[in-house]
Amino acid sequence: MDGLPFFEYVSLFRDDLIFATQKHLLVSLYTLLIATVVGIALGLLVYRRASLSTLSIGALAIGFTIPSIALFGLLVPLLGTGLAVGFPVLTMYGLLPILRNTIVGLNSVDKATLDAARGIGMGRLRMLWQIELPLAWPVILTGVRVGAQLIVGIVVIGAYVGVPGLGELLFDALQNLGAVNKLNQALAGTILVTLIALLLDAAFVLVRRYTTPRGIRV
Amino acid sequence: MSAAVDLLSDPDGRDTKLHQAPSLLTWRDLGIPLLCTAVVVGELYYLSQVTLGASQANILEIDNLVLRTREHVVMTLTITVIVLALAVPFGVLITRPRFRWLASPVLALGNIGQAAPIVGLLAIIGSFVFGFWPVVGMIAAFSILPVLRNTIVGIEQVDVGVKDAARGMGMSPMGVLMRVELPLAIPIIAAGTRTALILAVAVIPLGTDMNAGALGELVFAGIKLNRAESLVCGALLIAVLALLVDWASGLAQRALTPRGIR
Repeated sequence: MDGLPFFEYVSLFRDDLIFATQKHLLVSLYTLLIATVVGIALGLLVYRRASLSTLSIGALAIGFTIPSIALFGLLVPLLGTGLAVGFPVLTMYGLLPILRNTIVGLNSVDKATLDAARGIGMGRLRMLWQIELPLAWPVILTGVRVGAQLIVGIVVIGAYVGVPGLGELLFDALQNLGAVNKLNQALAGTILVTLIALLLDAAFVLVRRYTTPRGIRV
Repeated sequence: MSAAVDLLSDPDGRDTKLHQAPSLLTWRDLGIPLLCTAVVVGELYYLSQVTLGASQANILEIDNLVLRTREHVVMTLTITVIVLALAVPFGVLITRPRFRWLASPVLALGNIGQAAPIVGLLAIIGSFVFGFWPVVGMIAAFSILPVLRNTIVGIEQVDVGVKDAARGMGMSPMGVLMRVELPLAIPIIAAGTRTALILAVAVIPLGTDMNAGALGELVFAGIKLNRAESLVCGALLIAVLALLVDWASGLAQRALTPRGIR
């Protein structure tokens, strides 16, 4: 049970903690990037068809229900451990809120606005680029923000099948409960994951502030 | 349409047939249970066909599977009861005028708590105590936020006019709460409870190293022994349980919603 005082532990294991944090951040950001690109692209393909939209939103709801710990376990025999299973699973979970919000956001653009755009002679692509996407952007961005929170949390869970990040420290602490310095390790890991999640969330507030079109800024 | 029929249809143009309660179960509701049954049957058949090494034979015995599943269900229900018993009264308290100022700090604190990783929280509490109740308590604390938030939101979204009307009829504050505000908030509270339930099913396996992992025993045994059968069986059962819990709470949500706002 007894180990170093917390701050001594942190300064002694500083390099390990920083390295785990870097891995965690990088895995999260890469998968978030892929999830955002794929999610918005899929949303663009689907949103004009009401039946497809309903179908994909239903399928996404089922995806939300499947616990990540189960999905990792199911895919390890097929894909292997570590990033091989980590990347697809993390991208999948990050995708869910982004795709959902892209569909919902694009479909909630006011019909009268679209009529007006068509009336002044805009084509499909121009309408999408200049009217629909900018108006749906706050909703889409909220989806990305939720996706980021999900991913940061699921990287931790993924550590049980070898996904790199702070989860490695946390599972190691959980599986060696009572060993020297494990409480310190659990505390430091928990604080760092929480910090990553909160800082990322704060970053999205800024991104939202500067990328929302002037006219719909509140 | 004749005048006589017009008198029967209500002003919103809804069909009078709606006055009979809409049926709670439709054929579409059978999809998820059927799928889950098929998956479980398939998995059990597969397990009966493969030859398992000595390391896995005990873990994957049918008795053990039933036991672990039952543990998982019991833990999920216990957590739900604790969460509801704490979050709903506290949420109601926070919406009363005298305590309303508490709402935003409590929710802000809850959001920070939600950002913390449950693996780490379990490791921290596990450094001091072990077993069923610490794991249940920690997971309950972790999944209280969705219910608390939805209780507050659910009560605050009740139309001011409706509350005024209730007060005008001479209802006491307690009467307004019990007969107007809470019934109208039920769908939203139930949605939050559903989220908390799914969360509980998903994180219970992490209690394995604290001797309260339920189906997590299979998953982590599979990882430690490097055996796919145990890992996949545990993962499948957890996924099936999550889908069934979500399905059942969806039905409960529908059944509990007052007829007038269904």
